[in-house]
Amino acid sequence: MSKEKLKANIWAFVVTAILARLITLGSGNLDRFDAALVPYTFATLFAVFGITRRYALWLHRPPTAMYWTRGWKVFLLLLHPRHVGSNAILFLRRLIAHYAFNDFIWRRGRMRWLAHWCIMWGCVIAVAITIPLVCGWIDFRSEADNLEWYRVLVFGYPTVAFPIRSLVGFLTFHGLVWSSFLVIFGVLLALRRRLSDHGAAALQQFGEDLLPLFLLFAISVTGLMLTASYTWMKGYGYDFLAILHAITVIFTLLWLPFGKFFHIFQRSATVGVAFYQDVGKQGEQAKCRRCGNEFASRMHVEDLITVEKQLGYRYEMPDSPVEHYQWICPRCRRALLGLAQGVLWNESQAQG
Amino acid sequence: MFLLDQNEFFIDPARCIGCQACVQACSECDTHKGHAMIHLEYVDRGQSTQTVPVVCMHCESPTCAEVCPADAIKKTEDGVVQSARKPRCVACNNCVLACPFGVPKMITDFELMMKCDLCYDRTSAGKKPMCATVCPSGALFYGPRPEIDQLRPRSKPMNQFQFGRQTITTKVHMMAPTGPVKAQYLDVTEVMNENGPRQRIALDILSNLYASEDGV
Amino acid sequence: MASLPVKDLPIIELFGPHRNYSNGLRLESAVEPDKLVQTHCCFCGMQCGIQLKVKDNQVIGFEPWEEFPFNQGMLCPKGVKRYLQGAHPDRLLKAYQRDPAAPAGFRALPYDEAIQRVAQEIERIQSTYGPDSFAVFGGASLTTEKAYLLGKFARMGLKTCNIDYNGRLCMVSAAAANKKAFGIDRAANPWADILKAEVIWIAGANIAECFPILTNYLWQARENGAKIIVVDPRITPIARTCDLFLPIKPGRDIALFNGILHLMIEKDWLDHDFIDTHTVGFAALAEHVKEWTPRRCAEVTGITEAAIRKAAQWWGSAKSSFLMHARGIEHHTHGVQNCLGAINIVLASGRIGREGCGYATITGQGNGQGGREHGQKCDQLPGGRDIENPEHRAHVAKVWGITPEELPRAGVDVYEVFRRIDRGEVRGLLNICFNPLVSLPDSGFIKRMLERLQFFVTIDFFMSETARHADIVLPGSLHEEDEGIVASAEGRVIKINAAVDCPGDARQDWRIIQDIARALGREKGLTFANPREIFEELRRASAGGIADYSGITYEKIEKQMGVFWPCPSDDHPGTPRLFEAGSSNPIAKGKGRFYFPDGKARFNVAPYTPPAEDVDDEFPVILTTGRVVSQYLSGTQTRRIGPLVDQYPEPLIEIHPQLASRHGIKDGEWVRIEGRRGICTLRARIVTTIRPDTIFVPYHWGGGKSINQVTIAAQDPISKIPEYKVCAVRILNQYGPPANAQGLEPQQ
Repeated sequence: MSKEKLKANIWAFVVTAILARLITLGSGNLDRFDAALVPYTFATLFAVFGITRRYALWLHRPPTAMYWTRGWKVFLLLLHPRHVGSNAILFLRRLIAHYAFNDFIWRRGRMRWLAHWCIMWGCVIAVAITIPLVCGWIDFRSEADNLEWYRVLVFGYPTVAFPIRSLVGFLTFHGLVWSSFLVIFGVLLALRRRLSDHGAAALQQFGEDLLPLFLLFAISVTGLMLTASYTWMKGYGYDFLAILHAITVIFTLLWLPFGKFFHIFQRSATVGVAFYQDVGKQGEQAKCRRCGNEFASRMHVEDLITVEKQLGYRYEMPDSPVEHYQWICPRCRRALLGLAQGVLWNESQAQG
Repeated sequence: MFLLDQNEFFIDPARCIGCQACVQACSECDTHKGHAMIHLEYVDRGQSTQTVPVVCMHCESPTCAEVCPADAIKKTEDGVVQSARKPRCVACNNCVLACPFGVPKMITDFELMMKCDLCYDRTSAGKKPMCATVCPSGALFYGPRPEIDQLRPRSKPMNQFQFGRQTITTKVHMMAPTGPVKAQYLDVTEVMNENGPRQRIALDILSNLYASEDGV
Repeated sequence: MASLPVKDLPIIELFGPHRNYSNGLRLESAVEPDKLVQTHCCFCGMQCGIQLKVKDNQVIGFEPWEEFPFNQGMLCPKGVKRYLQGAHPDRLLKAYQRDPAAPAGFRALPYDEAIQRVAQEIERIQSTYGPDSFAVFGGASLTTEKAYLLGKFARMGLKTCNIDYNGRLCMVSAAAANKKAFGIDRAANPWADILKAEVIWIAGANIAECFPILTNYLWQARENGAKIIVVDPRITPIARTCDLFLPIKPGRDIALFNGILHLMIEKDWLDHDFIDTHTVGFAALAEHVKEWTPRRCAEVTGITEAAIRKAAQWWGSAKSSFLMHARGIEHHTHGVQNCLGAINIVLASGRIGREGCGYATITGQGNGQGGREHGQKCDQLPGGRDIENPEHRAHVAKVWGITPEELPRAGVDVYEVFRRIDRGEVRGLLNICFNPLVSLPDSGFIKRMLERLQFFVTIDFFMSETARHADIVLPGSLHEEDEGIVASAEGRVIKINAAVDCPGDARQDWRIIQDIARALGREKGLTFANPREIFEELRRASAGGIADYSGITYEKIEKQMGVFWPCPSDDHPGTPRLFEAGSSNPIAKGKGRFYFPDGKARFNVAPYTPPAEDVDDEFPVILTTGRVVSQYLSGTQTRRIGPLVDQYPEPLIEIHPQLASRHGIKDGEWVRIEGRRGICTLRARIVTTIRPDTIFVPYHWGGGKSINQVTIAAQDPISKIPEYKVCAVRILNQYGPPANAQGLEPQQ
């Protein structure tokens, strides 16, 4: 096993262990744990192991590692007391625009945005409901003095209470239904695009692009069928549906570290990147050593030089004042390509 | 998919006339509709009408993909380096700055890097890429190797490029002269200080034109 | 009344030019088109094949047509984005009437009412001032059917002699020279012959920007071993890598050709057999070019003696060759002489009428070739016939069912028609497919003449700069809304196919012409039901003429991917290459290859004369004009296509750094060009790719951005082509931005 894999495994083990401990802690040593959810719990533990392992491996790649360390340094800079206020506001604004609203997808296309937004919020709501339940962190107890009321226990500590037969109650207990509707609507929109768009048709891959949609669809539909079964059909086929639903969910959980779903965890990097660029803009700029125009932050260019060396690239130009090809702007790189070929032809004509 | 094995992309900037048909046609392709991925640069308009079209060269070992922190740039089995995967791209600009050919484009609005993907919707279905179909000068050519060999007896395709000490091998070929110049690769950084156009108008005619004014 | 109804700003605001970009269906990547229509580009003389994608009666994009032999799917940026001219916000969907009280100066009115109004005005003007007082202008972007119909309408319906067309600004010098030397006005060879040529001589043709697809033929020829000689005052993209570049001083082309011929004679690089057997007039010409020694040639042309000798040697000793030229040598007061000079060196080499041995003018307009052959040119009748030739008159009169006496005599060229307006001889004008206010030189004069008209009607799909002066604007059809034939620059007759229907009240131009004829009560012979019917009559009218189309059918065109005229019978495949050994023609009747009674080509003495307006102390700089690749002619269409405007938004003055530094001009600075007729202020682009004594400005813009405010209206005495390529100006940079710099978008 390579060193980085070993490290990643250790990380994954530690994080999984912490989660396991949190589960025992939150459920009062499995006192409040719902035994019916055991398969989900284990799938979650496995998923966390996988995600952490992949995340750790990912962070180990030179460019990611560079952003990771730079990101934290930049973060410390942002915490400077003079700017911390404005940076916090900026951070919140980006968080809302990017993560809550998905503004960048909005600009790519309205229908695309609607599909993603529905799927995303559907999943967020569903995860927010199920994970605490699966881990035994949340428990609903009827009040001792009033059976019409439920009190929510978090980590065993009583918090708010609400009447069972109320709007709040209805909305809470059907939270997964609402999230299913959102996901199904979003998945159908996404599928429609994937089936009709010529560009998507050429580029999409089953495992990468279609399977995640099918999985989400399957989870939502089987989940809804469960609700339908116990609400209107007196539990007809409930056991079978429960197994079916569990299979879809568990498969998805285990699939999280591998496929498209991993972007959920990767995208956290965008915040770091945005601040890295902010800091870069305020700092010294790199001037192209051919045309003299500024084209990036000096920090970015120097970091890239480091990363390229780590990756084994040899873009150094030791005999030239340019020193390293990374000091040449993209426009000049394109121009050089034409010039180089032109020179070859000129020489050939001069000799020929 | 199989056709990709037979057809190859060849570029010949010496033929380019800077008409931008490629740029205009590029944005008509379904994988990047509305966005031209090809670049067309004047080398130095003040000195020359020389222009260079730059498509993605589809490197064997793509620097853009390796410097991507998000692992968003993937190569297909047939060697086509694709645009960043939309879910993953974090718009960090590493690929834009690191690509030795200056190919990727950052679409700031979308927070997404997009690049030439050889019109994958067309080439994967056996059609030519838009740019190479419309190019009026043959600067961009897509077709089987025997065809280009027969059409261009003066040229030989070359797919190794030198940048400093780094050699890059690409799927796309550059047409180089077959003549007396024997180069194994195209040394791009070698011409850092060149700008010499071949044709010049070196006439000292103004001194006659303004003779009276100069008192000559 | 043909002055602007209101100031131009409100007209621009409503009618454009506005830029159209892809949106809606055109930006969707999930649309299955209803159909792909195989047709051709609506722009230049190359007439590239293209397939239009149609969805819901709208052209939503294109697909390359790789099977069409000329361009094999290739297109220039104009062709790629031409689909954006359809479904355009500026499109005229109704007839309009000039109304100074209306906010934008025009009021929509029902189509029939507009036609009635036009008919009444024609009737009134002609009955008051005589039939010739009403003039008709056509254009070389019209299909041949429309051009034919327009000629018939003018001569048979209106009985006016005053019909001419915008081809007058295109290749008429070459046409006249071709007739003088060969007896036929057509490119002598198909473009495919370029590929086999050993030496290619390109005179005054910015092929890369004006005929981009031809570039591939040049480069392919070079792969096959050809040497390319480019003669141009600018290092155009073709000249950049050509084998020999001759940076000629504008207006001196004939001196160069005479100098080359001088050297050919001196070194005996002549095909004596060919000269003796197939030509007449060589001795007189040889005598004339005796004085054109390399030294004198170099002095006049501004090219080094060494380069002239090298060019002569390459040309003289070649086994095969192709000479082509375009507006660069044709737009001159001695344009015909320039072309004759070019033809002289071709004939002296004997390299014509064989594979890989060719000569051609590169016609600039889509139907520049076909549009002049069948009767909208002031002196021609269908079939390339001469309106003053009694036999020709009789033939056409018979096809039209009238007596030859009823046919008007020859009219005058478009510019002369404007002078007739000045003299009060012409009072009314019908204009189609022509934007003279932008495209004619000395546009101040043109504006004043439009204002003098009593009645001006224009048929157009957009409100062009000229249409803004109209009393009535009738909504015509776009290229993709009608069918018909055109002849490309190589003489290949091809078919334009309709892709969509006309929107709103707009209708096909031939319908509009016939509606006017009917409203006038002069519909006799103008009651065709479709373009095919017009074409069938055109075939008969052209039969026996030089431009004989009688053997061409729509079906044959489709089957053969075009038919080269002449094609005199149903079983004739067409004539890609003229003057081949053993070929016959209706003039020579077997006596020889060329279109003269003796079958022999003519050498013509082509004396050198300087440009009409040469530089002097007061105006020391030569101004020359031309095109850019992303725009077409007066820009009525291309200035409305967003991506094309963005590619080259506004005209720039190309100035050599030597000249710029004389005047302290910096790149991007506003520079005022002053000439004897007008001024024009534009931004400078400082480039070493132009002669230091010359500045270049492209001509596609109107109003204050129009360089034709400055150009000279001097014309060639034979072809009547204006001298766009040379006039004298001075440049000044202390005036800052012009008044129009603010408030107008670049294309306006």
